[in-house]
Amino acid sequence: MEKRTMALLLSMGMAASLLTGCGGGNTDSGSTAAAGENSGAVTTTGAAEGGSGDAVTLKFTWWGSQSRHDYTQKILDAYTAEHPDITFEAVPAGWDGYFDKLSTEAASGSMPDIVQMDYLYISTYAKNNSIADLQPYIDDKTIDVSGIDEALLNSANINGKMAGLVLSTSLVTFPYNPEVLEKAGVAEPDSSWTWDDFIALNQKLKEAGVTDAAVINPTLDTNLFHYWVCQHGGKLFADDQKSLGYADDQILVDYIRMFKDAMDQDLVPTPDEMGQIDTLGLEAGPVVTGEGAFTQNWNNYSTLVAKANDKIKMVTPPTIGADDKKGLWMKPGMFLSISETSPHKKEAAEFINWFLNSETANDIMMAERGTPSSSMARDYLSNSGKMAPWQQDMFAYVDMAAKMAGETPAPDPTGMSEVNKVFADACNAAFYDQMSPEDAAASFRKKADEILTRNN
Amino acid sequence: MAKLGKFHHYKRKDNIAGYLFLAPWIFGFLLMWLIPAIISIYYSFTDFNLLNTPSVIGLGNYQRIFTQDDTFWQALKVTFTYVLLLVPLRLAFALFVAMLLNQKHKGLGLYRTLYYVPSIIGGSIAVSIVWKQLFGNKGVMMSLLGLLGIQQKTSLLGNPRTALMVIVIMGVWQFGSSMLIFLSALKQIPYSLYESAMVDGGKPWQVFTRITLPMLTPTIFFNLILQIINGFRVFTESYVITDGGPLDSTLSYVLYLYRRAFTYFDMGYSCALAWVLVAIIAVFTVILFKTQNNWVHYES
Repeated sequence: MEKRTMALLLSMGMAASLLTGCGGGNTDSGSTAAAGENSGAVTTTGAAEGGSGDAVTLKFTWWGSQSRHDYTQKILDAYTAEHPDITFEAVPAGWDGYFDKLSTEAASGSMPDIVQMDYLYISTYAKNNSIADLQPYIDDKTIDVSGIDEALLNSANINGKMAGLVLSTSLVTFPYNPEVLEKAGVAEPDSSWTWDDFIALNQKLKEAGVTDAAVINPTLDTNLFHYWVCQHGGKLFADDQKSLGYADDQILVDYIRMFKDAMDQDLVPTPDEMGQIDTLGLEAGPVVTGEGAFTQNWNNYSTLVAKANDKIKMVTPPTIGADDKKGLWMKPGMFLSISETSPHKKEAAEFINWFLNSETANDIMMAERGTPSSSMARDYLSNSGKMAPWQQDMFAYVDMAAKMAGETPAPDPTGMSEVNKVFADACNAAFYDQMSPEDAAASFRKKADEILTRNN
Repeated sequence: MAKLGKFHHYKRKDNIAGYLFLAPWIFGFLLMWLIPAIISIYYSFTDFNLLNTPSVIGLGNYQRIFTQDDTFWQALKVTFTYVLLLVPLRLAFALFVAMLLNQKHKGLGLYRTLYYVPSIIGGSIAVSIVWKQLFGNKGVMMSLLGLLGIQQKTSLLGNPRTALMVIVIMGVWQFGSSMLIFLSALKQIPYSLYESAMVDGGKPWQVFTRITLPMLTPTIFFNLILQIINGFRVFTESYVITDGGPLDSTLSYVLYLYRRAFTYFDMGYSCALAWVLVAIIAVFTVILFKTQNNWVHYES
């Protein structure tokens, strides 16, 4: 009997070891996401001490592709060459897992000094006081923001605190492969096209034998839906961010219907097909390789894939016709933030200023992180004569889209990633025929409102 | 008692060395396990979100789990389905292969190693990615079924009804460690029992049900407990292969807990989820121990 009691206790112990079991899993996935972390690390020359004149090591983390990792390392090397007392510890990572890892670092007080930040999370981190207020450095001119549009700059202003410095702007865009269109005998669209034109165009492509006509994932996040809501004259979120901002569920019902029809006609990939396409990566995606015609992305897309295909063109997303309420908005592409725990905030701010405004940094970056937010950087690049056609396209797109852009919405509310998840769940339930579009729209509203009330 | 006296005699001398040998484990146990586990009990009663100063909200998190969270029930359903399918299948398969390998044959050592390999590598990211490719859209399975004339629009992994099956099959495939335990237990069944069965003219099926199975019950019991606990902990497969999808049909409990903690920053809530799971597993284990008098046969 004693033996059995012992065995029972041991089993209970194993059951409880679950807690540590999942703890281990977290660390694993975090380090997988940051694979290659050491490859880019710069060795430090001296102990990191505060104050000027002493050797300082700044830890800088960002997400991106391998080419971004490579050139960013060059930028860091160039900065160290100009400022021998500043060295860097680079922590490049892929998008997957980047924020999982950052949250654990923030919780343990080991957040890197400089953090590449996304609109999705900036308010969460700002409200949690884990990123520093940059306003003092803007006020004392450490960071020169004279070239940045004020509305854009203030997109990082969370409750009166400058939580990050906006590095680039992005706009929703529909990139396409002009060669595929030409082969199929379809005319290239311009900004005046409507969603009906979009569907008709893809039907023609399908008839001409294009396998993946429009490689669009309508539930990747809520950005395309955001555009849809705005162009119908609504807002995605209420001003207090405690609920959805549009009153009529029919808006979402129509959105789901349109894409469900397109999926049924095999014009847009089903969620299942999309899962497979996602594993190919950006540069081997169907539109780049010529198997697909259209996709949806941001306006730095043609630059991101230029190495694989430099012919990609971009057009603004379709309108709803004469009633269109201008749904496009200038989305802050990404931010650089300084962690509250950093002992070298001043040095970090100096670097951010240089990263944003200097010719050296922009020469190397060549707008790969999106259209630069600073007009100085934009003008410099435009006049440098070094820009490839696809980069000129990216700059031209901003002008083209400006005519269709409305107000820049407030930063994403806290709990945004959870809202994105329930949005995808609701739409996919309809795409999988497990719910009617009406029920899906109602279910999204119920869950999103619950999340927004709980978080904001 | 005499034995114990002798033990005490040696005990003092060996105490220090013994504790020194234990020290690394005890250190790790306290630091990485016991202390975090105790802290997580505290967090489960707070609104901790990783970055704020936690404030106690009483049973709020537990109340939310049971009354407001549909996804919790979905994750629980998925995990129970997974465990109920996986454990019997994996044990039956492990026993079957162990019986095959419990023979005198040339090259059996090699087979034993080969069959064990999936257990070592099975939980890894790389294998999960391979399974994703095999069973995903435009994957090997889809092409094979296509060749057989079964055309599908959705892949097995993309279909909410079949996705969990793929993950169960992957779990069954990792039968190696149970197999090894069965194999060593099979070897310990006294040959004399089989001899007397042969003398009495027992048929193979009778030998299996009357001798092998009863003699194995302690091992089956041990494996059962081990695999049930392991089954409840499934994470990597659903995280890498399907990310819980499609439509949360493969959302395992631990993946949901992870997502709550590190994607939605809902740390206090996620600690509460963890303790609910511990309670569930504890209940399962106690029930199994209560039933063992009815079916587990201890020889001594």
